[in-house]
Amino acid sequence: MTSELSAIFVEPSDDTPLVWFDISIGGGAADDPEGIEGLHRHAGLLARRGAGRRDRVEMDQTLDALGAAVEVSVSRDALTISGMALSRNLDQVFALACDMLVEPRFEPSEHEQLLRETPQVLDEIRDDDSSLASRWFDSLCAPGHPYSRTSLGTDSSISRIDRDRSLAQWHHEVRADNLVVGLAGDIDDARAHRMAAELAQRVAARGHRPALTSPSFAGLPVAAPRGRRYVLVDKPERTQAQLRMGHLCLGYSHPDIPAMLLAETTFGGMFSSRLMQEIRVKRGWSYGAGCALRRSRKPHWFEIWLAPGAAVAGEAAKLTLDLYADLAARGPTDEEVDFARSYLVGAMPFHSATARQRMQLAVRDAVLGVPPGYTTNLPQLVAQVSAGDVRRACSTHLRPDDIVTVAVSTASLIQDSLPTSDGSLVVVAHDAY
Amino acid sequence: MGRRMTVRRYRMPNGLRLICSLDREAPIVAVQTWFGVGSRHERPGATGLAHLFEHLMFGQTEALGPGEFDRLVERTGGESNAATWVDWTHYRLTVPTRDLALALNLEAQRMSQLVLAEAPIEAEREVVMNERRERVEDDVDGSLDEQLMALAFERHPYRWPTIGKMDDIKRVTIDEIREFYRTWYAPNNACLVVVGDFDEAQLLSLTSAAYGELPAAPLPEEPALVEPAQTLQRMIRLPKPIATHRLLVGFKAPSLSHPDWLPLDIAATILAGCSSARLQRRLVIREEAASSVDAQLTPFRDPSLLRIAITCARGHDADEVMRILDEELAALHLDPPSVAEVEKAKAVAETDLWSTLVDVDGKAEALGHHQTVLGDFRTLMDRTRALAQVTPADVARVVHTYLQPGQRTVVIAEPSEPEDTDEDDADDTDGDTDADADADGAVVKGDPQHGPRRGAHSPGARA
Repeated sequence: MTSELSAIFVEPSDDTPLVWFDISIGGGAADDPEGIEGLHRHAGLLARRGAGRRDRVEMDQTLDALGAAVEVSVSRDALTISGMALSRNLDQVFALACDMLVEPRFEPSEHEQLLRETPQVLDEIRDDDSSLASRWFDSLCAPGHPYSRTSLGTDSSISRIDRDRSLAQWHHEVRADNLVVGLAGDIDDARAHRMAAELAQRVAARGHRPALTSPSFAGLPVAAPRGRRYVLVDKPERTQAQLRMGHLCLGYSHPDIPAMLLAETTFGGMFSSRLMQEIRVKRGWSYGAGCALRRSRKPHWFEIWLAPGAAVAGEAAKLTLDLYADLAARGPTDEEVDFARSYLVGAMPFHSATARQRMQLAVRDAVLGVPPGYTTNLPQLVAQVSAGDVRRACSTHLRPDDIVTVAVSTASLIQDSLPTSDGSLVVVAHDAY
Repeated sequence: MGRRMTVRRYRMPNGLRLICSLDREAPIVAVQTWFGVGSRHERPGATGLAHLFEHLMFGQTEALGPGEFDRLVERTGGESNAATWVDWTHYRLTVPTRDLALALNLEAQRMSQLVLAEAPIEAEREVVMNERRERVEDDVDGSLDEQLMALAFERHPYRWPTIGKMDDIKRVTIDEIREFYRTWYAPNNACLVVVGDFDEAQLLSLTSAAYGELPAAPLPEEPALVEPAQTLQRMIRLPKPIATHRLLVGFKAPSLSHPDWLPLDIAATILAGCSSARLQRRLVIREEAASSVDAQLTPFRDPSLLRIAITCARGHDADEVMRILDEELAALHLDPPSVAEVEKAKAVAETDLWSTLVDVDGKAEALGHHQTVLGDFRTLMDRTRALAQVTPADVARVVHTYLQPGQRTVVIAEPSEPEDTDEDDADDTDGDTDADADADGAVVKGDPQHGPRRGAHSPGARA
């Protein structure tokens, strides 16, 4: 088995005595087996709850005593162990993270407790309208697409998570050539590479474990749903509507990404963008209004969000759809593209100003399958895109007639105002998913 | 501060203070303007004025048309934002170094030449009302925060919400807004903080050119605001459409400048501020009675609260969690924290402190906050030394002084029974109280009210 890491990135800076590290493991929520959504998150959190000679309590005590933190996060494409420590304590903290990778305990008692805890996170999401809207939108944008799988899981899928299955998934994915490692801060190249090499050797020494399932994307492409759909997530006592609108679009490695970033920026990426101006500045309808093309390895959503008061939710949804249709049909003007280009090119230094930011960008690029330095070099690519290119990209990739609109609100307040056609509105209870 | 950082402070003849520090990690510069005005300077009936005004500061000036401020900043790739809280309001611009002059000129213009016209005020009033709906009316934690401060404070302006009461946001007049601007927005009530990659001589020259002609203004005398001592527990229960019970407990706590603040912050960490904290282990891990617990000591100019927030687990209620909380507090009184426990909390605090200072915005914010709230940014530099000197005896003493049941206020959100709703009751977020709180429920959020771009919980606002 190879002891070569998939990639390692080091960004030294001795501005503060802190060091950050990210260890990304290829395979995320999109790779959860169908019906067992939440598996990757469950496995990652179990690893954080006991590894090597330490149980959960001992891990917590050790990290707190060092003033350090080690956390697990799961995206659609990867699971990441992120750490922060004072430089003088880094060796101990990084070793603990390595224990999580190669010697996770997956104690049955912790497994059972986590199975009890996770549905409570679902409760917290249901109590938060913005999170709830995003959760429903993700599930409905392109049903059947691996990115529609929630990283948290559902009440039923969580109940099907098996401890041995979790451990097997972990052992299969934790292999050196599936790890991307980044370190930044008060650390030099030599120390960082020594630590990464030791990690790779420990991982390689475990040997290889076979996969239990086929990659989720084996079945792509998923046919994107056609037609406009409306889903009203009914929740009592709301005074506004959390709106999410969008459709399946592009992956981050697509050659039209630079043009689409300009389109995204002109429509909802700045305060001066169309959406913010029309929804907020002119009408005061929502505190925020924006859009984003989700950055992922495979085609993901183009998503719009706003939160208008219930009294204007229907008008706001209709105006947003009209604005989006206009963008798709005519694209941004030359002046808008020039302005967005200036913004994007000028903004890059802010996104890469600190060693930690540069490291995280590099790790993310590797996870997303784009060449090293792709994101930091995007301004050069954006600079070469013409307004005509942006309009062509809008025409090709924006699909205003196939948008799903998800609204979290009190149904009786906004149901009649949504710009639906007959039969296109579905009302669901807010705790039904 | 950063290990090798040098911070310099200047004062202009018109009273404007300038604090600057070099950081050459990237060719950018953070320009922040901190005004010594927040929601504490409002009056009942005009709450939310400081925050509403903050929104208006991105509008038209005598030299700039509507929207031009944002376009000038965004054309550089720069970022702008603002925040208002009880003691202060601050505005932030982060721009490429080559645009430092632009940033200073924009800030100086809006400090003195803002045009306050009726139409944009009305549009922004709607925006703020929607912000309030998002952060308070439709947000259980925001609603709890508001109720906690309203109940905990009887006289101090901390009792009303920084975002303002809905009726006040609707009512405030254009004359009041203009008067607020004339009263508080003057160079002698501001601190300009510049951190990043710049030439200091050029910065001084540009600052002098941009601000030198602005006149100082007579600032109102601030009355001493004394909150009566609290001797009895206060409690309120609110029905909410939520899945499980939530609690917010606030103990009266000292001001940020008080010597007890830091030991009490350590006590908060020991209780609920890290993954091995006492309440975390008891409530979340051992008894599984709560799904989350957190503690926060508010960094205010006047005495405020140590807040403990708890979300109950399924099948457990607020009364059970309160009983466990009381047991743990009693244990903390009887069994003071050990040396190891205090050292652990100090290590967490040290890392937290450094992690706020990793970029130019964080450094500028820390400097501006300490200068504005404590009157001297050097208190920030003393922080690590002061932290090292905290002893277990200090922590035990502040636990006995402040964490007393009679000095606490408890706000509980309970799941309401599902029922039909209609438009008439959709706006009704008040609950029944068993204490003498403002009937319409006031709030100070647990976090600052951010300005037009930033939303702590909303993807609809840009960070």
